[in-house]
Amino acid sequence: MSEQLPAPEFDSQNYERPNQKWICGRAAEGNPCRPGPSGRGRCQATFECAPVLEKKEGEAKGRWRCTRPGGACETGPLPDGTCCRPIPKCSPVPTLRTRRGQLTLAVVTATVAVLLILLGSPPLRTKFINPGELSTPHSSDAFAKHARSNQVDQTCGACHEAGALGPSGMTAAAFQASPGPLEIIKLTHARPAEMTAIDESCQRCHPGHVFHQPNVVRDISCSFCHAEHHGAGPMPSTTDAHCTLCHGDAAVMAAASAKGAGLPPDAFHSRVLPGRNDFHTSRPASGFTRVIHRFGSDHPEFRVHADRLRDPDTLKFGHALHLTGETIPKLPDGRKLDCAFCHQPDGAGVYFRRIHFENHCRVCHSLQFDSETPGLTLPHGDPDSVSAFLHSLPKQYSDFAVRSGITRGEEQKEFAQQKLQQLQARVTSGEDFEKRIFFSTATTGPTTQVGTVSGPTRALYPGCAYCHEVKSNPQGTVEITKPILFDRWLAHGEFNHARHSGVACSQCHQAEKSKVTSDIILPARDSCVACHSPRGGVRDSCVTCHGYHSSVR
Amino acid sequence: MTRFRRQLLIGSFLLSLVSVLAVMVHGRFNRVLPNYAYLTGWVLFAAMTLLAVYNARKKIPFLPLGSSEAWMQIHVYAGFFTVVLFLIHLNFHVPTGWFEGTLAWLYVLVTASGIAGLILSRVLPRRLSTRGGEVIYEKIPAIRNDLRQQAEALALGAETKSPVIAEFYARQLNVFFSGPKNFWRHLLESRQPLNAVIVELEELRRYLNDQERTVLEQLAQLVRRKDGLDYHHALQTALKLWLFMHVPLTYSLMIFSLVHIVLVYAFSGGAR
Repeated sequence: MSEQLPAPEFDSQNYERPNQKWICGRAAEGNPCRPGPSGRGRCQATFECAPVLEKKEGEAKGRWRCTRPGGACETGPLPDGTCCRPIPKCSPVPTLRTRRGQLTLAVVTATVAVLLILLGSPPLRTKFINPGELSTPHSSDAFAKHARSNQVDQTCGACHEAGALGPSGMTAAAFQASPGPLEIIKLTHARPAEMTAIDESCQRCHPGHVFHQPNVVRDISCSFCHAEHHGAGPMPSTTDAHCTLCHGDAAVMAAASAKGAGLPPDAFHSRVLPGRNDFHTSRPASGFTRVIHRFGSDHPEFRVHADRLRDPDTLKFGHALHLTGETIPKLPDGRKLDCAFCHQPDGAGVYFRRIHFENHCRVCHSLQFDSETPGLTLPHGDPDSVSAFLHSLPKQYSDFAVRSGITRGEEQKEFAQQKLQQLQARVTSGEDFEKRIFFSTATTGPTTQVGTVSGPTRALYPGCAYCHEVKSNPQGTVEITKPILFDRWLAHGEFNHARHSGVACSQCHQAEKSKVTSDIILPARDSCVACHSPRGGVRDSCVTCHGYHSSVR
Repeated sequence: MTRFRRQLLIGSFLLSLVSVLAVMVHGRFNRVLPNYAYLTGWVLFAAMTLLAVYNARKKIPFLPLGSSEAWMQIHVYAGFFTVVLFLIHLNFHVPTGWFEGTLAWLYVLVTASGIAGLILSRVLPRRLSTRGGEVIYEKIPAIRNDLRQQAEALALGAETKSPVIAEFYARQLNVFFSGPKNFWRHLLESRQPLNAVIVELEELRRYLNDQERTVLEQLAQLVRRKDGLDYHHALQTALKLWLFMHVPLTYSLMIFSLVHIVLVYAFSGGAR
């Protein structure tokens, strides 16, 4: 209670009022007037007192009495009742609190003014409210051109309808949004990745929203995976969380499986790129709906291994023989045959060029059919051409003579005749010879030394059937099954050999153990997981191998 | 343990606990919950509004809304908690773009000025108590004026009749008594300016007779009182000035936040 009492030295005549907005201009001189300034900061000083008229009984005029606080003055009021001591006027001073209020008002006014100017002017607004630079695909000249040709706004309005509106329009748009600012509870009920109005803007240029598998249960909002305004360059990569929203959810996968079961198989055919031969696997009965959270944990084994698939190619080829066989001769330059001789990277180094007989096989398999004539070889690629070649052997020998530098016609004829006689001495008949050319294999081949390779090697060209599946049809002609050389084995994933250049081929591909063509010597999932996992320290996100927008035909 | 220390301990513990929980919730729901940024934004805006209404609460003391001390405690701890909410809302990224950058800077400035004010209001009153004396801030100019008049009367008055003191006053002390001096030195608790004047007064002593020395003693006493007054002025000004940044920027921040909400909804996926 004592704390509330004024101190003994309290001056009740001149106490301060710090809560008032203005103080007397003479307060700094230690002489403030008693009334002080008005609430609006106007000086209220008039006179030191307001004299009171006192009338005694019987008096007509009465007498003015000084009412000055602290005692009457010596002079007393003037005859007209005015105080004789006027208080000089001052310029009231705002208190610190008032000054703070004035500054606050100024700052608020400036803030509102700046916002109105910046939001009201379209060119300034675009720069001011842009939360970050757009990705290159949405900010390039090509995009601007596309926007112009499609009569799309080239500023924020290209994607955001409110982008073309002023402050009032934006406010209206905000309150028309669903959920709007007054629907906070609705925010918690939203389903993840729901399609929203802005997706309509995306679909103006990217129509259809049918990028993924046809058995997707519900469409996913573009902006769920693709975040814009994160700087120039490509848009930020999608994360595993985006993929596992569906692929990590057993209920969603079950629904997708059920939906897929009701769709025709053709609906799932992947687009085939022209000129590329992919190894296609049949779609699993339930589709690709197994629940997956991470590559290293519950990603299924690659189907070539899980389903024990075999290479359907009929070409007779053994990687093991070619890489480790003792009978395999060295290459003409003295090198040992290795993977890189046949598997040469494409321009980008991502995949390999297709194996070609002329480039990769003929160096050893020269198709030299006459052991006495190393330079003369059979054509490759078409059995009819081979047959025609054999039926025109005199001309072939004669042409070979020309190529060998024999210029005179007589000598050419003589050369061809001699070669034919030598050949006839080794075969029973022309038919037998042609049959042997097509159907002979290494084990039944007549010769042991052919072509550029000599030594303990076996015959390099015993017959087409040494490498190919050769059949005779009812018409009596020969049919050679065309080899199937696949460009891509994992059609649902991407692989970049260039990024794996530091890894030896044999570390992933067990080529040295593969004896038959039907072996698919792709690495198993575990081989990839050894590196592509948190343990291995290499990226293992879904998008490392897969793309969401897998096209369908 | 004093009441203040107990409050500090409990408040810090609760703040740490809630902050850790908030960060854990962020880690759990950041990528899972749809509209997560909206929800964290609304929580942050609600917390900021609670902080802003503290100023309004002070203007309506007659309403039974709890004690001002309780509001102050809530203001301080909720203020620190909004830092965590702010970082969570930004997903621990630096915002890009002019508008969002300005909004973030406003938040930083308001928070920094608030923290500065908290430190000042904890440190300076203790220093004022240690120095002694109680002066009403609004009365300081009048007291200063009174001191100046006393000093002038002593140094220049007819009774003294000392040309040495008069000359010294006109040359050195006139400026010293004319207004508040050595603001930053007082904030830094430096006594060097006072000591410099006292040393000069002491050096003057040998040129004075006994009567003049008595006047000099009285003048030195007035110098010490003026220095004490300047000390009070400097520290009390500092106690009030930080609000000149904190309060106006708070209003600016709230306006920017409201516009931010409008823009987010107008430009969000849900806007039509």
